[in-house]
Amino acid sequence: MMTVDERNEHQEVWLVLPWLASGRLDPSERERAEQHVRVCARCEEELALQQRMCGAFAEPDRVIYAPGPSFRKLMERIDAEAQADKRDVRAPQQPRLSPRGIAARLGHVALWRPPGAAWAASFLALFALTGLLTTAYRWSEPVYRTHTDSAEAIQNVLHIALDRSLTIAQVEELLRASGARVVEGPGSTGVFGVTPVGMQPGTSAVAVNRQLQRLATRLRADPRVLWVQPLAQDDTPVNQRAPAPPER
Amino acid sequence: MRGPSHTEPQGSPGTGEPGYRSGASAAREAALIARIANGDRRAFEELYNLYHRRLARFLTRLTRRYDIAEEVINDTFWIVWRKAGDFRGDSQPSTWILGIAYRRARNAFRASARMGAVENPDESLQPPTSEEPMRAEELRDWLVRALAHLPVEQRLAVELCYELGYSCEEIAAIMACPVNTVKTRLFHARAKLQKILPVLGGTAGSGERRGGK
Repeated sequence: MMTVDERNEHQEVWLVLPWLASGRLDPSERERAEQHVRVCARCEEELALQQRMCGAFAEPDRVIYAPGPSFRKLMERIDAEAQADKRDVRAPQQPRLSPRGIAARLGHVALWRPPGAAWAASFLALFALTGLLTTAYRWSEPVYRTHTDSAEAIQNVLHIALDRSLTIAQVEELLRASGARVVEGPGSTGVFGVTPVGMQPGTSAVAVNRQLQRLATRLRADPRVLWVQPLAQDDTPVNQRAPAPPER
Repeated sequence: MRGPSHTEPQGSPGTGEPGYRSGASAAREAALIARIANGDRRAFEELYNLYHRRLARFLTRLTRRYDIAEEVINDTFWIVWRKAGDFRGDSQPSTWILGIAYRRARNAFRASARMGAVENPDESLQPPTSEEPMRAEELRDWLVRALAHLPVEQRLAVELCYELGYSCEEIAAIMACPVNTVKTRLFHARAKLQKILPVLGGTAGSGERRGGK
Protein backbone atom coordinates (compact mmCIF):
# COMPACT_ATOMS: atom_id res chain seq x y z
CA MET A 1 0.00 0.00 0.00
CA MET A 2 1.52 3.32 -1.16
CA THR A 3 1.40 6.44 0.96
CA VAL A 4 0.05 9.69 -0.50
CA ASP A 5 3.57 11.00 -1.02
CA GLU A 6 4.63 7.80 -2.73
CA ARG A 7 1.57 7.89 -4.98
CA ASN A 8 2.23 11.51 -5.91
CA GLU A 9 5.81 10.75 -6.70
CA HIS A 10 4.80 7.73 -8.74
CA GLN A 11 2.37 9.82 -10.80
CA GLU A 12 4.91 12.56 -11.35
CA VAL A 13 7.55 10.11 -12.50
CA TRP A 14 5.02 8.30 -14.68
CA LEU A 15 4.36 11.52 -16.56
CA VAL A 16 8.02 12.12 -17.40
CA LEU A 17 8.98 8.56 -18.36
CA PRO A 18 9.01 9.35 -22.13
CA TRP A 19 11.76 11.89 -21.56
CA LEU A 20 13.62 9.60 -19.19
CA ALA A 21 13.57 7.06 -22.02
CA SER A 22 14.74 9.57 -24.62
CA GLY A 23 17.45 10.99 -22.34
CA ARG A 24 15.90 14.49 -22.47
CA LEU A 25 14.96 14.80 -18.81
CA ASP A 26 16.43 17.61 -16.73
CA PRO A 27 19.38 16.17 -14.67
CA SER A 28 17.83 16.92 -11.28
CA GLU A 29 14.50 15.41 -12.30
CA ARG A 30 16.23 12.46 -13.94
CA GLU A 31 17.99 11.50 -10.74
CA ARG A 32 14.74 11.47 -8.80
CA ALA A 33 12.95 9.51 -11.56
CA GLU A 34 15.71 6.93 -11.77
CA GLN A 35 15.59 6.40 -8.01
CA HIS A 36 11.85 5.82 -8.20
CA VAL A 37 12.08 3.48 -11.18
CA ARG A 38 14.55 1.30 -9.28
CA VAL A 39 11.93 0.58 -6.61
CA CYS A 40 8.72 0.75 -8.73
CA ALA A 41 8.02 -2.29 -10.91
CA ARG A 42 5.28 -0.57 -12.90
CA CYS A 43 7.45 2.40 -13.76
CA GLU A 44 10.31 0.09 -14.65
CA GLU A 45 8.05 -1.81 -17.02
CA GLU A 46 6.68 1.43 -18.49
CA LEU A 47 10.20 2.78 -18.98
CA ALA A 48 11.09 -0.31 -20.98
CA LEU A 49 7.99 0.24 -23.12
CA GLN A 50 8.90 3.88 -23.66
CA GLN A 51 12.38 2.88 -24.72
CA ARG A 52 10.87 0.48 -27.27
CA MET A 53 8.72 3.28 -28.61
CA CYS A 54 11.71 5.57 -28.89
CA GLY A 55 13.57 2.83 -30.75
CA ALA A 56 10.63 2.24 -33.06
CA PHE A 57 10.31 5.91 -33.99
CA ALA A 58 14.04 6.07 -34.59
CA GLU A 59 13.88 3.37 -37.24
CA PRO A 60 15.28 4.67 -40.54
CA ASP A 61 12.79 5.75 -43.16
CA ARG A 62 12.12 3.57 -46.13
CA VAL A 63 11.77 6.67 -48.27
CA ILE A 64 14.05 9.65 -47.95
CA TYR A 65 12.97 12.79 -49.75
CA ALA A 66 15.68 14.89 -51.33
CA PRO A 67 15.44 18.55 -50.33
CA GLY A 68 16.64 19.97 -53.67
CA PRO A 69 13.37 20.00 -55.65
CA SER A 70 11.41 21.34 -52.69
CA PHE A 71 13.96 24.08 -52.12
CA ARG A 72 13.82 25.12 -55.78
CA LYS A 73 10.03 25.40 -55.52
CA LEU A 74 10.40 27.55 -52.45
CA MET A 75 12.90 29.87 -54.12
CA GLU A 76 10.65 30.22 -57.16
CA ARG A 77 7.87 31.27 -54.83
CA ILE A 78 10.09 33.74 -52.98
CA ASP A 79 11.37 35.23 -56.25
CA ALA A 80 7.85 35.51 -57.66
CA GLU A 81 6.67 37.31 -54.54
CA ALA A 82 9.69 39.62 -54.63
CA GLN A 83 8.78 40.54 -58.23
CA ALA A 84 5.18 41.13 -57.21
CA ASP A 85 6.35 43.33 -54.33
CA LYS A 86 8.46 45.40 -56.73
CA ARG A 87 5.48 45.83 -59.03
CA ASP A 88 3.35 46.93 -56.09
CA VAL A 89 5.96 49.51 -55.12
CA ARG A 90 6.16 50.85 -58.67
CA ALA A 91 2.44 50.91 -59.25
CA PRO A 92 1.67 54.22 -57.50
CA GLN A 93 4.43 55.98 -59.48
CA GLN A 94 3.95 57.50 -62.93
CA PRO A 95 3.74 54.62 -65.37
CA ARG A 96 6.61 54.34 -67.76
CA LEU A 97 5.46 55.55 -71.18
CA SER A 98 6.37 54.05 -74.47
CA PRO A 99 7.09 56.42 -77.40
CA ARG A 100 3.61 55.62 -78.65
CA GLY A 101 2.13 56.53 -75.31
CA ILE A 102 4.02 59.82 -75.22
CA ALA A 103 2.79 60.69 -78.72
CA ALA A 104 -0.73 59.85 -77.74
CA ARG A 105 -0.40 62.03 -74.66
CA LEU A 106 0.92 64.99 -76.60
CA GLY A 107 -1.50 64.65 -79.49
CA HIS A 108 -4.66 63.73 -77.67
CA VAL A 109 -5.07 65.47 -74.37
CA ALA A 110 -8.50 63.96 -74.11
CA LEU A 111 -6.84 60.59 -73.50
CA TRP A 112 -6.12 61.73 -69.96
CA ARG A 113 -9.04 61.02 -67.79
CA PRO A 114 -8.61 62.15 -64.22
CA PRO A 115 -10.23 60.00 -61.58
CA GLY A 116 -13.19 61.27 -59.58
CA ALA A 117 -11.05 62.59 -56.75
CA ALA A 118 -8.97 64.59 -59.20
CA TRP A 119 -12.12 66.14 -60.65
CA ALA A 120 -13.30 67.14 -57.21
CA ALA A 121 -9.90 68.59 -56.29
CA SER A 122 -9.73 70.54 -59.57
CA PHE A 123 -13.19 71.99 -58.99
CA LEU A 124 -12.33 73.08 -55.44
CA ALA A 125 -9.04 74.61 -56.60
CA LEU A 126 -10.83 76.58 -59.32
CA PHE A 127 -13.47 77.77 -56.86
CA ALA A 128 -10.82 78.90 -54.36
CA LEU A 129 -8.82 80.68 -57.08
CA THR A 130 -11.88 82.59 -58.27
CA GLY A 131 -12.62 83.72 -54.73
CA LEU A 132 -9.02 84.76 -54.20
CA LEU A 133 -8.90 86.83 -57.40
CA THR A 134 -12.18 88.57 -56.57
CA THR A 135 -10.95 89.45 -53.10
CA ALA A 136 -7.61 90.68 -54.45
CA TYR A 137 -9.39 92.89 -56.99
CA ARG A 138 -11.57 94.39 -54.26
CA TRP A 139 -8.55 95.07 -52.10
CA SER A 140 -6.74 96.74 -54.99
CA GLU A 141 -9.64 99.22 -55.52
CA PRO A 142 -9.64 102.52 -53.48
CA VAL A 143 -12.08 102.58 -50.64
CA TYR A 144 -14.61 105.43 -50.88
CA ARG A 145 -16.97 106.64 -48.23
CA THR A 146 -19.71 109.16 -48.80
CA HIS A 147 -20.13 112.08 -46.43
CA THR A 148 -23.82 111.52 -46.21
CA ASP A 149 -25.14 108.21 -45.08
CA SER A 150 -28.85 108.91 -45.16
CA ALA A 151 -30.68 106.57 -47.40
CA GLU A 152 -33.11 109.26 -48.41
CA ALA A 153 -31.57 112.65 -49.15
CA ILE A 154 -33.42 115.82 -48.18
CA GLN A 155 -34.22 118.08 -51.09
CA ASN A 156 -32.23 121.37 -51.65
CA VAL A 157 -29.61 120.76 -48.97
CA LEU A 158 -25.96 121.82 -49.16
CA HIS A 159 -23.50 119.48 -47.40
CA ILE A 160 -20.58 120.95 -45.54
CA ALA A 161 -17.81 119.76 -43.21
CA LEU A 162 -16.58 121.98 -40.38
CA ASP A 163 -13.43 122.00 -38.36
CA ARG A 164 -14.07 119.55 -35.56
CA SER A 165 -12.25 121.65 -32.99
CA LEU A 166 -15.01 124.26 -33.15
CA THR A 167 -17.26 124.65 -30.16
CA ILE A 168 -21.01 124.64 -30.47
CA ALA A 169 -21.09 128.36 -29.94
CA GLN A 170 -18.53 128.90 -32.72
CA VAL A 171 -20.52 126.67 -35.06
CA GLU A 172 -23.66 128.62 -34.27
CA GLU A 173 -21.83 131.91 -34.91
CA LEU A 174 -20.40 130.59 -38.20
CA LEU A 175 -23.79 129.40 -39.45
CA ARG A 176 -25.50 132.64 -38.40
CA ALA A 177 -22.86 134.73 -40.15
CA SER A 178 -23.14 132.80 -43.39
CA GLY A 179 -26.94 132.67 -43.32
CA ALA A 180 -27.27 128.89 -43.04
CA ARG A 181 -29.32 126.67 -40.88
CA VAL A 182 -28.74 123.01 -40.17
CA VAL A 183 -31.41 120.71 -41.56
CA GLU A 184 -29.48 117.44 -41.52
CA GLY A 185 -26.70 115.79 -39.56
CA PRO A 186 -24.16 115.71 -38.35
CA GLY A 187 -23.59 112.31 -39.94
CA SER A 188 -21.09 109.67 -38.89
CA THR A 189 -18.43 111.57 -40.83
CA GLY A 190 -19.28 114.92 -39.22
CA VAL A 191 -21.01 116.38 -42.28
CA PHE A 192 -23.94 118.73 -41.88
CA GLY A 193 -26.69 119.48 -44.30
CA VAL A 194 -27.57 123.18 -44.42
CA THR A 195 -29.98 125.40 -46.31
CA PRO A 196 -30.08 129.16 -46.76
CA VAL A 197 -32.01 130.94 -44.02
CA GLY A 198 -35.28 132.24 -45.28
CA MET A 199 -35.74 129.85 -48.16
CA GLN A 200 -39.48 129.39 -48.56
CA PRO A 201 -41.27 126.28 -49.64
CA GLY A 202 -42.48 126.44 -53.21
CA THR A 203 -39.51 128.46 -54.36
CA SER A 204 -38.57 127.61 -57.89
CA ALA A 205 -35.67 125.31 -58.50
CA VAL A 206 -33.72 127.99 -60.25
CA ALA A 207 -34.11 130.39 -57.34
CA VAL A 208 -33.18 127.65 -54.83
CA ASN A 209 -30.07 126.86 -56.77
CA ARG A 210 -29.03 130.46 -56.83
CA GLN A 211 -29.48 130.75 -53.11
CA LEU A 212 -27.43 127.60 -52.55
CA GLN A 213 -24.70 128.95 -54.83
CA ARG A 214 -24.48 132.09 -52.78
CA LEU A 215 -24.48 130.18 -49.52
CA ALA A 216 -21.70 127.90 -50.77
CA THR A 217 -19.62 130.94 -51.75
CA ARG A 218 -19.99 132.43 -48.25
CA LEU A 219 -19.10 129.19 -46.54
CA ARG A 220 -16.04 128.61 -48.72
CA ALA A 221 -14.78 132.00 -47.68
CA ASP A 222 -14.67 130.94 -44.05
CA PRO A 223 -11.45 128.99 -43.25
CA ARG A 224 -13.24 127.00 -40.54
CA VAL A 225 -15.30 125.32 -43.22
CA LEU A 226 -13.22 122.42 -44.47
CA TRP A 227 -15.39 121.29 -47.31
CA VAL A 228 -18.47 122.45 -49.20
CA GLN A 229 -20.39 120.28 -51.58
CA PRO A 230 -19.57 121.45 -55.11
CA LEU A 231 -22.48 122.72 -57.12
CA ALA A 232 -22.86 122.80 -60.86
CA GLN A 233 -23.32 126.12 -62.50
CA ASP A 234 -26.57 125.08 -64.10
CA ASP A 235 -30.02 125.32 -62.71
CA THR A 236 -30.47 121.67 -61.85
CA PRO A 237 -31.51 121.17 -58.23
CA VAL A 238 -28.66 120.00 -56.00
CA ASN A 239 -29.92 116.51 -55.19
CA GLN A 240 -30.74 115.72 -58.77
CA ARG A 241 -27.12 116.01 -59.84
CA ALA A 242 -24.18 113.80 -59.31
CA PRO A 243 -23.49 112.86 -55.72
CA ALA A 244 -20.89 114.58 -53.66
CA PRO A 245 -17.30 113.67 -54.38
CA PRO A 246 -16.15 110.79 -52.34
CA GLU A 247 -13.75 111.18 -49.49
CA ARG A 248 -10.86 108.84 -49.53
CA MET B 1 19.00 7.81 -30.85
CA ARG B 2 16.26 10.11 -32.17
CA GLY B 3 14.78 10.18 -35.58
CA PRO B 4 17.15 12.24 -37.62
CA SER B 5 20.18 11.44 -35.54
CA HIS B 6 21.01 8.39 -37.56
CA THR B 7 21.69 10.59 -40.56
CA GLU B 8 22.93 13.73 -38.89
CA PRO B 9 25.81 14.65 -36.63
CA GLN B 10 25.61 13.14 -33.19
CA GLY B 11 25.80 15.16 -30.03
CA SER B 12 28.21 14.66 -27.22
CA PRO B 13 28.37 10.98 -26.25
CA GLY B 14 26.46 10.19 -23.13
CA THR B 15 24.56 13.46 -23.00
CA GLY B 16 21.55 12.15 -24.88
CA GLU B 17 21.51 15.46 -26.76
CA PRO B 18 20.78 15.00 -30.45
CA GLY B 19 23.41 16.48 -32.70
CA TYR B 20 21.10 19.06 -34.24
CA ARG B 21 20.41 20.59 -30.84
CA SER B 22 23.91 20.63 -29.45
CA GLY B 23 25.35 23.98 -28.45
CA ALA B 24 27.67 24.12 -31.45
CA SER B 25 24.84 23.28 -33.80
CA ALA B 26 22.57 25.90 -32.27
CA ALA B 27 25.28 28.54 -32.64
CA ARG B 28 25.85 27.55 -36.24
CA GLU B 29 22.12 27.73 -36.98
CA ALA B 30 21.86 31.11 -35.28
CA ALA B 31 24.70 32.35 -37.48
CA LEU B 32 22.90 31.02 -40.55
CA ILE B 33 19.72 32.83 -39.53
CA ALA B 34 21.69 36.06 -39.12
CA ARG B 35 23.03 35.65 -42.65
CA ILE B 36 19.55 34.87 -43.95
CA ALA B 37 18.33 38.12 -42.43
CA ASN B 38 20.78 39.82 -44.79
CA GLY B 39 19.39 37.94 -47.78
CA ASP B 40 22.09 35.24 -47.98
CA ARG B 41 20.60 32.50 -50.13
CA ARG B 42 23.42 30.05 -49.53
CA ALA B 43 22.83 30.24 -45.79
CA PHE B 44 19.14 29.76 -46.43
CA GLU B 45 19.73 26.65 -48.49
CA GLU B 46 22.08 25.26 -45.86
CA LEU B 47 19.52 25.74 -43.10
CA TYR B 48 16.80 24.30 -45.31
CA ASN B 49 18.82 21.18 -45.95
CA LEU B 50 19.54 20.81 -42.24
CA TYR B 51 15.85 20.71 -41.43
CA HIS B 52 14.24 19.22 -44.49
CA ARG B 53 14.73 15.58 -43.66
CA ARG B 54 13.58 15.73 -40.08
CA LEU B 55 10.60 17.89 -40.96
CA ALA B 56 9.67 15.74 -43.94
CA ARG B 57 9.76 12.64 -41.79
CA PHE B 58 7.81 14.23 -38.97
CA LEU B 59 5.21 15.81 -41.22
CA THR B 60 4.79 12.87 -43.56
CA ARG B 61 4.01 10.69 -40.59
CA LEU B 62 1.53 13.24 -39.40
CA THR B 63 -0.25 13.84 -42.68
CA ARG B 64 0.62 10.58 -44.48
CA ARG B 65 1.15 12.67 -47.61
CA TYR B 66 4.44 14.09 -48.77
CA ASP B 67 2.85 16.84 -50.88
CA ILE B 68 1.16 18.28 -47.81
CA ALA B 69 4.35 17.84 -45.79
CA GLU B 70 6.36 19.62 -48.47
CA GLU B 71 3.89 22.47 -48.50
CA VAL B 72 4.18 22.84 -44.73
CA ILE B 73 7.99 22.75 -44.91
CA ASN B 74 8.07 25.42 -47.57
CA ASP B 75 5.51 27.55 -45.74
CA THR B 76 7.69 27.26 -42.65
CA PHE B 77 10.86 28.29 -44.45
CA TRP B 78 9.08 31.03 -46.33
CA ILE B 79 8.36 32.54 -42.90
CA VAL B 80 11.96 31.88 -41.82
CA TRP B 81 13.17 33.80 -44.90
CA ARG B 82 10.91 36.75 -44.20
CA LYS B 83 11.23 36.83 -40.42
CA ALA B 84 14.88 35.91 -39.94
CA GLY B 85 15.60 39.51 -38.98
CA ASP B 86 13.14 39.20 -36.08
CA PHE B 87 14.94 36.21 -34.55
CA ARG B 88 16.67 37.53 -31.44
CA GLY B 89 18.00 34.24 -30.07
CA ASP B 90 15.59 34.16 -27.14
CA SER B 91 15.00 30.50 -27.96
CA GLN B 92 16.99 27.83 -29.71
CA PRO B 93 16.86 28.14 -33.51
CA SER B 94 15.36 24.64 -33.73
CA THR B 95 12.62 25.56 -31.24
CA TRP B 96 11.82 28.67 -33.25
CA ILE B 97 11.69 26.81 -36.54
CA LEU B 98 9.75 23.86 -35.12
CA GLY B 99 7.33 26.30 -33.51
CA ILE B 100 6.57 27.74 -36.93
CA ALA B 101 6.35 24.26 -38.46
CA TYR B 102 4.04 23.10 -35.67
CA ARG B 103 1.55 25.90 -36.28
CA ARG B 104 1.65 25.43 -40.03
CA ALA B 105 1.31 21.66 -39.65
CA ARG B 106 -1.63 21.93 -37.29
CA ASN B 107 -3.44 24.31 -39.63
CA ALA B 108 -2.64 22.23 -42.70
CA PHE B 109 -3.72 19.07 -40.95
CA ARG B 110 -7.05 20.56 -39.93
CA ALA B 111 -7.63 22.03 -43.37
CA SER B 112 -6.77 18.71 -45.01
CA ALA B 113 -8.99 16.83 -42.59
CA ARG B 114 -11.90 19.11 -43.48
CA MET B 115 -11.28 18.44 -47.15
CA GLY B 116 -10.93 14.71 -46.53
CA ALA B 117 -7.35 14.71 -47.79
CA VAL B 118 -5.97 13.16 -44.62
CA GLU B 119 -6.34 9.44 -44.24
CA ASN B 120 -9.09 8.44 -41.85
CA PRO B 121 -8.14 6.29 -38.88
CA ASP B 122 -8.04 2.66 -39.79
CA GLU B 123 -10.93 1.23 -37.80
CA SER B 124 -9.86 -2.27 -38.63
CA LEU B 125 -6.48 -1.83 -36.99
CA GLN B 126 -5.87 -5.15 -35.31
CA PRO B 127 -2.92 -6.10 -33.17
CA PRO B 128 -0.65 -8.72 -34.68
CA THR B 129 -1.54 -12.28 -33.77
CA SER B 130 1.98 -13.57 -33.75
CA GLU B 131 3.29 -14.63 -30.37
CA GLU B 132 6.76 -13.43 -31.27
CA PRO B 133 7.80 -9.93 -30.18
CA MET B 134 7.40 -7.31 -32.89
CA ARG B 135 10.50 -6.15 -34.60
CA ALA B 136 11.23 -2.42 -34.25
CA GLU B 137 10.37 -1.85 -37.91
CA GLU B 138 6.99 -3.56 -37.55
CA LEU B 139 6.31 -1.70 -34.34
CA ARG B 140 7.11 1.58 -36.07
CA ASP B 141 4.57 0.80 -38.81
CA TRP B 142 1.95 -0.04 -36.23
CA LEU B 143 2.65 3.08 -34.25
CA VAL B 144 2.36 5.25 -37.32
CA ARG B 145 -1.02 3.73 -38.13
CA ALA B 146 -2.12 4.00 -34.51
CA LEU B 147 -1.20 7.67 -34.40
CA ALA B 148 -4.07 8.35 -36.79
CA HIS B 149 -6.42 7.53 -33.91
CA LEU B 150 -5.11 10.35 -31.76
CA PRO B 151 -6.23 13.98 -31.74
CA VAL B 152 -3.84 16.18 -33.68
CA GLU B 153 -2.38 17.86 -30.59
CA GLN B 154 -1.55 14.48 -29.04
CA ARG B 155 -0.07 13.24 -32.31
CA LEU B 156 2.17 16.28 -32.53
CA ALA B 157 3.27 15.86 -28.92
CA VAL B 158 4.13 12.20 -29.59
CA GLU B 159 6.08 13.07 -32.72
CA LEU B 160 7.98 15.89 -31.04
CA CYS B 161 8.88 13.68 -28.08
CA TYR B 162 9.62 10.28 -29.62
CA GLU B 163 10.43 11.20 -33.17
CA LEU B 164 12.33 14.46 -32.79
CA GLY B 165 13.49 13.94 -29.20
CA TYR B 166 12.55 17.31 -27.75
CA SER B 167 12.41 17.83 -23.99
CA CYS B 168 9.14 18.60 -22.25
CA GLU B 169 10.08 22.27 -21.90
CA GLU B 170 11.06 22.54 -25.57
CA ILE B 171 7.79 20.97 -26.66
CA ALA B 172 5.92 23.42 -24.45
CA ALA B 173 7.76 26.27 -26.17
CA ILE B 174 7.06 24.85 -29.61
CA MET B 175 3.38 24.24 -28.89
CA ALA B 176 3.08 27.50 -26.93
CA CYS B 177 1.45 25.81 -23.96
CA PRO B 178 2.33 25.02 -20.32
CA VAL B 179 4.67 22.14 -19.52
CA ASN B 180 1.92 20.32 -17.64
CA THR B 181 -0.27 20.45 -20.74
CA VAL B 182 2.45 18.66 -22.69
CA LYS B 183 2.72 15.99 -20.00
CA THR B 184 -1.05 15.55 -19.96
CA ARG B 185 -1.27 15.29 -23.75
CA LEU B 186 1.42 12.66 -23.79
CA PHE B 187 -0.14 10.80 -20.89
CA HIS B 188 -3.43 10.47 -22.77
CA ALA B 189 -1.65 9.60 -26.00
CA ARG B 190 0.32 6.85 -24.29
CA ALA B 191 -2.80 5.42 -22.70
CA LYS B 192 -4.64 5.43 -26.02
CA LEU B 193 -1.75 3.87 -27.92
CA GLN B 194 -1.46 1.08 -25.39
CA LYS B 195 -5.17 0.48 -25.61
CA ILE B 196 -4.94 0.25 -29.39
CA LEU B 197 -1.74 -1.72 -29.31
CA PRO B 198 -1.66 -3.84 -26.18
CA VAL B 199 1.19 -5.74 -27.75
CA LEU B 200 3.30 -2.68 -27.05
CA GLY B 201 3.65 -3.68 -23.46
CA GLY B 202 3.91 -7.35 -24.20
CA THR B 203 0.81 -8.07 -22.14
CA ALA B 204 -2.49 -7.42 -23.83
CA GLY B 205 -4.88 -5.06 -22.11
CA SER B 206 -2.48 -3.87 -19.48
CA GLY B 207 -2.22 -0.36 -20.86
CA GLU B 208 -3.89 2.55 -19.17
CA ARG B 209 -4.34 1.19 -15.69
CA ARG B 210 -0.62 0.92 -15.37
CA GLY B 211 -0.43 4.63 -14.77
CA GLY B 212 -1.43 4.03 -11.20
CA LYS B 213 -4.16 6.63 -11.36
